[in-house]
Amino acid sequence: MINRNINILNNFNILYLEDDVELLKQTKDVLDDFMLEVFGASSIEESMKVLESEHIDIILSDILLKGENGVDFLKSLKESPYTDIPTVLITAHTETSYLLEAIKLKVANYIVKPINLKELLNTIHDIVLPINQHKEAQKSNNLIKTISEVTDGKQVEVIKYIMSNLNDSDEVNTSYSEIMSHIDISKPTLVKLFKKLSEKNILTNVSHKKYRFHQDSLDSL
Amino acid sequence: MKIKKILQALDAISFGYKSAFLLFIIIGGMISIILLSQISSYTIKNDFDLLFEKRTKSIIKLEHIKDTYVGNIHVTLNDMQKNIINLQQSREVITLARQLIEKNWSHYLNIIDSEKYQVSWLDAIIKKIFIGDEEKPNIILQQSIIKNIEKKQKRISHLLNEIFNPYKQVENLFSSIEEVNYEINSISIYITSLTNYDLNMAIQEKHDTDQIFDLLSLILNISIVLVFLFSAVLSAFIISNFKKLHFALQGDVLEKTEALQKLNNTLEIKIKKEVENSRKKDTLMFQQARLASMGEMIANIAHQWRQPLASILMIIQGVQSKMKLGKLTPEIINSKVKDALLLAENMSETLDNFQNFFKPTKEKESFSLKSSIEHSLTLSKYILEQHKVNVSIRVPDTIKLHTYYNEFSHVLLNIIANAEDALSNIKGDKFIEIIAKEVNQKVYIYITDNGGGIKENVFPHIFEPYFTTKYKSKGTGLGLYMSKQIIEKHMKGIIRCKNVCYTINNNKFKNCTLFTIILPIKGMTTDDK
Repeated sequence: MINRNINILNNFNILYLEDDVELLKQTKDVLDDFMLEVFGASSIEESMKVLESEHIDIILSDILLKGENGVDFLKSLKESPYTDIPTVLITAHTETSYLLEAIKLKVANYIVKPINLKELLNTIHDIVLPINQHKEAQKSNNLIKTISEVTDGKQVEVIKYIMSNLNDSDEVNTSYSEIMSHIDISKPTLVKLFKKLSEKNILTNVSHKKYRFHQDSLDSL
Repeated sequence: MKIKKILQALDAISFGYKSAFLLFIIIGGMISIILLSQISSYTIKNDFDLLFEKRTKSIIKLEHIKDTYVGNIHVTLNDMQKNIINLQQSREVITLARQLIEKNWSHYLNIIDSEKYQVSWLDAIIKKIFIGDEEKPNIILQQSIIKNIEKKQKRISHLLNEIFNPYKQVENLFSSIEEVNYEINSISIYITSLTNYDLNMAIQEKHDTDQIFDLLSLILNISIVLVFLFSAVLSAFIISNFKKLHFALQGDVLEKTEALQKLNNTLEIKIKKEVENSRKKDTLMFQQARLASMGEMIANIAHQWRQPLASILMIIQGVQSKMKLGKLTPEIINSKVKDALLLAENMSETLDNFQNFFKPTKEKESFSLKSSIEHSLTLSKYILEQHKVNVSIRVPDTIKLHTYYNEFSHVLLNIIANAEDALSNIKGDKFIEIIAKEVNQKVYIYITDNGGGIKENVFPHIFEPYFTTKYKSKGTGLGLYMSKQIIEKHMKGIIRCKNVCYTINNNKFKNCTLFTIILPIKGMTTDDK
């Protein structure tokens, strides 16, 4: 994981549970610069209140809390509607015995005290990255759907067909007649579309009835 | 040589057999001696009796008869012949004499025939054994003499009857008297021979008795000598045996005494060594306990430092990240530096608190009980806060102690640490209450927690060294042991523990542990060791 795009953190809310007020304040100050919003809490009860009122994407919790501990918090989370929110535990070296239990409770990751800011940010990034990607994919999908609604739907359908039939080496075995048997499109329109794609070097004819898709030429557009 | 062999053989017999043998010989010898002497005296008496009764008496009877014949009848007849007395008178005298004779004769016969005067069976046996077949006394001779005497008696009485027959006047009175005189002479001869016979018999019997007596006394003497000899020999053996035994025992005793002395000497050395060892062990334990408590203290420091250190690190990293983002303003720097300084000051204070604990103080000092308790609580503040333990102190400010400050706070910390450990395992409200009072020159300190009490199987061992209920990494098992040592040996006090029901803040808790420390104020000030 090199060159993480820390900026994606900007889209997420974080809940930070830490019983030491000073450390909570300092860490919150720093995280504020990277996250969308940081909600601090100094007890499990407070955290639950925050979870009820705010949308939280990720939870960060100290393992040793006054009179309670992070594992207890994880347990109460599992019984709440917020069971799917990924959680990172902060632990001192001497408290590693709690980690085994925490793993059972599907903790997302842990970091060791004293907190290294870079490590903390990277950990958060790695956790939110799939969420971000999921969001991005959703966006693209929506985009395509919208475009196909406003432009010629037939051509979009042909491209969808080709894309879905691509094999591992980005090649597809098909013919005009085959496409036409699936999609209701006139041959001249089809030929025109293939020509256009070939001109832009997106889909080229490799041999008879065999076409190759070029990812890189799409990126350079 | 043979005697020597026998003696050796005797010597070889075991002691028990020897003494039994000796006893047997002595008893056997005694019995045989007594038996023999009894037998000999009996025999002698028997013989004497026989001699007197049978022989002497019979001789006397015979003499009587003879006298009666010669003295009475013969003289009377002569007198009658000479007409000194008349017929009537002489008849009376002779009748009397005849009666006497008859009586004596029957007595004599009685004596001879009587069973009573026979030789006793024992005597007979002895005689048979010792003298052998002696010549039987000439009974036939005796019998014939007796027959003759009886014949003569009859003849005499017949003649006398004829003489004194009142109806028949005897013509030849003188010839009859002559014949009577003649017969009396012959009867006296017979009686004399019978007397001789009896005398002979008596002499022979005396001879026999002498012989038996000699023999018996010889046997008696021999047996006495033998018994004496055997007894002497055996006694000598037994005495020598005793001597041997004595020397052997003496040797044994000496040997054992020596061994005992050696053992004693080594024992002294051993005891010294053991004492030294135990002292070494004690100091080692003290050191161990000290190290353990130092470890605990360091862990406490680490706990109390971890959070502010993390904060300071976060401040530093925050400054860097803000600078990278271009958000760093002088205001931010100022506020961050202020925060960091505050935190650092806090950390430095913590160090100061603990520094006292590590300082080795060997002098007694005067201090307030309350402040020392508060200080101990400060040291374990972090963990108490972590577990949300409510600590209440009800100690008058006036109580002053004069003792080793560090050791005392060591004890307090140990008890608080145990209470805290127990409290970490329970849910709900957690309390530690410390109460102190001063009564009769003694300070009573009560430390109570509601951590569930001490289990019954654990209870008898809590003050034992190396006893712990915790995991090896957490407890050394020395805390309460050292506490007891400190309180009882260094401060001459008492430390006790029990499970109680306790009410704290109007809440009744069933399972509480109560530690009581009793310290004498007087002893602390006077006894400066």
